[in-house]
Amino acid sequence: MTLRKYPGDLLLLGLFLLPVVVVAPALPWGSQGWLYSLAELAGVFALSAFLLAGILSARIPGMDPWFGGLVRLWTIHRWLGFSAFMLVMAHVLLLALATLPMSLGTSVATLFPPLSHWEIWVGWAAFLTMLVFIAPTLGFFGTLHYQNWKRLHLLSAPALVLALVHTLMLSATAWVWWLLSALALAAIAWRKLLSPWLARKAYVVDGIDKLARDVVELRLRPKGKGIRWQAGQFVYLTPMDSSLVAGYREEHPYTIASGSGDDELKIGIKAVGDATRALLDIKSGAEVRIEGPYGTFFENAALAQKGDGLPGEPRKQLWLAGGIGITPFVSGARDRVGSGAVQAPDACLFYLANRPERAYYLDELVRIAETCDGFEVHTHYMNEHGVITRDYLAERCPDFAARDIYLCGPPGMINHLQTLLRHEGVPVHRIHTEAFDFL
Amino acid sequence: MTSNRIAYTGFVAFVSVVLTLVVVNLVQGNPEPTAGGTAENANGETVFRLDDVAEHNHAGSCWKVINGVVYDLTEYLPNHPTEEEVFTRWCGKEATSAWLDKGNGRPHSPRAAARLEDYRIGVLEGGAPAPAPVETADSATQPATGDDRLGRMLLGLAPGNYLDGTYRGNFIDRGLIQVSLQFRIEGGRIKGMSYRHLFYRDEDYLKMDSSAELYPVLRQYQQITERLEGEPMEAIFRLYEPENVVDDIDGYTGATLRGAKVISAFRDGLNRGVYSW
Repeated sequence: MTLRKYPGDLLLLGLFLLPVVVVAPALPWGSQGWLYSLAELAGVFALSAFLLAGILSARIPGMDPWFGGLVRLWTIHRWLGFSAFMLVMAHVLLLALATLPMSLGTSVATLFPPLSHWEIWVGWAAFLTMLVFIAPTLGFFGTLHYQNWKRLHLLSAPALVLALVHTLMLSATAWVWWLLSALALAAIAWRKLLSPWLARKAYVVDGIDKLARDVVELRLRPKGKGIRWQAGQFVYLTPMDSSLVAGYREEHPYTIASGSGDDELKIGIKAVGDATRALLDIKSGAEVRIEGPYGTFFENAALAQKGDGLPGEPRKQLWLAGGIGITPFVSGARDRVGSGAVQAPDACLFYLANRPERAYYLDELVRIAETCDGFEVHTHYMNEHGVITRDYLAERCPDFAARDIYLCGPPGMINHLQTLLRHEGVPVHRIHTEAFDFL
Repeated sequence: MTSNRIAYTGFVAFVSVVLTLVVVNLVQGNPEPTAGGTAENANGETVFRLDDVAEHNHAGSCWKVINGVVYDLTEYLPNHPTEEEVFTRWCGKEATSAWLDKGNGRPHSPRAAARLEDYRIGVLEGGAPAPAPVETADSATQPATGDDRLGRMLLGLAPGNYLDGTYRGNFIDRGLIQVSLQFRIEGGRIKGMSYRHLFYRDEDYLKMDSSAELYPVLRQYQQITERLEGEPMEAIFRLYEPENVVDDIDGYTGATLRGAKVISAFRDGLNRGVYSW
């Protein structure tokens, strides 16, 4: 996650700190009470983080740019979940420590009181529920099947309710928790109950272009009013074709491959799991639902440039794509053919693939490069050239390190390139990447 | 991802610490869990469980656990300086946090702590061997009739500074001896106290017949010597409030026992030094 600031951050920070500001002054900080207060504070922070993570799960189309894009929101969401988990454990241990000076028995009785103190046990129930859905998220048992993980993650709602009951029974300041939990539960309700009906738009598969053995491009036409998008954004696609082998009514994120002015919504899909593999066989005329668009892949540049003191002349761009990670750049290139061509800054695309037949869309990209000034395409085949080096980049694009750099591809490639670019002295804020491995 | 490793490590550490707490408590605590507050610990104090305490959660019967000790504060409730609710909401609960913080971040006073001990009824199961309810071996042997720490201070002495032996002392007022006392000190304790002379307003009490109107007062003076037998020297100061020492048997005479005169005669004896070995 980059350290760039977005207007929504202030809102998030405010919501996160609100409970602490309300609760902390009322805690018994004096004399021997400070450890106990610290324990309670850990609990307060934990629930704030948990509720905020819940609030961030809303995913409302059009709102994510305030927070630097949906991917950044998910990253924050993940960090909040992680923090909540760690803080809850700290809360329990600090409570045990705070009562330990009285006696070991008191300490244990504080954690495991008689059943009549059910509000404590509700807290334990919340923690265990949290453990069930967060353990696979944090990879305790290796990676989990995406849909199973997603279903398991729904346990966050009961865990939230349990944590809330635990806190409300023991807290003197209820309103602040009601406020945050109302927002969080509304967010979950929107995501799970309302958004499938309100946010998803019906589309029909107009055609399927096979780009490789395991890669297709779907051409989609809206049934009613479609969505509007910018180059580099992505959508959630839900197939409504029950004849599919897998993935019926399951949503997955895909990058839009068409330019923003195009009539058709095009989506490049590579088979990486059950659902995507099944999607290769979808029939023309089948219905899909589209939710979005999300993300700020290319818009980040516009935001980032505001402070650069070069008004009117956007910085040149370096595009580094790997495998199916080419899709946002296909969108960007197709944009240049359309109306946006005039203002678009110079871009130099390096297409990294293992071998030529893995360079999907290459012919079209080369065609666009021939017709458009300020857009070049270079290929780099791993089997032929080995791992890409700075010299390879510098030979074909001498000022590459001075450009705004966009990365999209598999994690190994991203890591390698980020290291390479940092060695060249490229500041972090000029490296843009949106990787959604696990959305 | 690094955060995953941190979370996993943190979780393992968490489980380890909690398990350690529970297991150590099991090993260290009562091997057989006791039922219903009938057990006693090594100090002979009743051991209660938190759910025993939880039943006494109202103004009519209000028990609280503070630092592992169980107190029955029902009687004290009317004397607590705050609103009743502030006091009663901790009834039946572990109230140490409220004890440590009165709501203003300050703990209760040492004075309150001393008073609290009067209401001690036992300890919490699994609680540490809390400090014994009484502070010294000396005071452990006496009936709970007051705090002799003040007395020790008044005497400005520690047991042993007065040599063992027989002492004699007098209380003289308006030219007449009213109380004349003989007693022995042995290891700082009062032994064999007796009156050699007891005179007031033309009455020679020691020659008084049991049918005499003021005879009950003599009985009280005699009770003083009986009840201070074997007590530490500072116990003499209890006589400033003689009703704590003697029975109220003179309610109908109108005459009052003058404990202060006995104190005065006693200290006179100490000042004079050993009369005989």
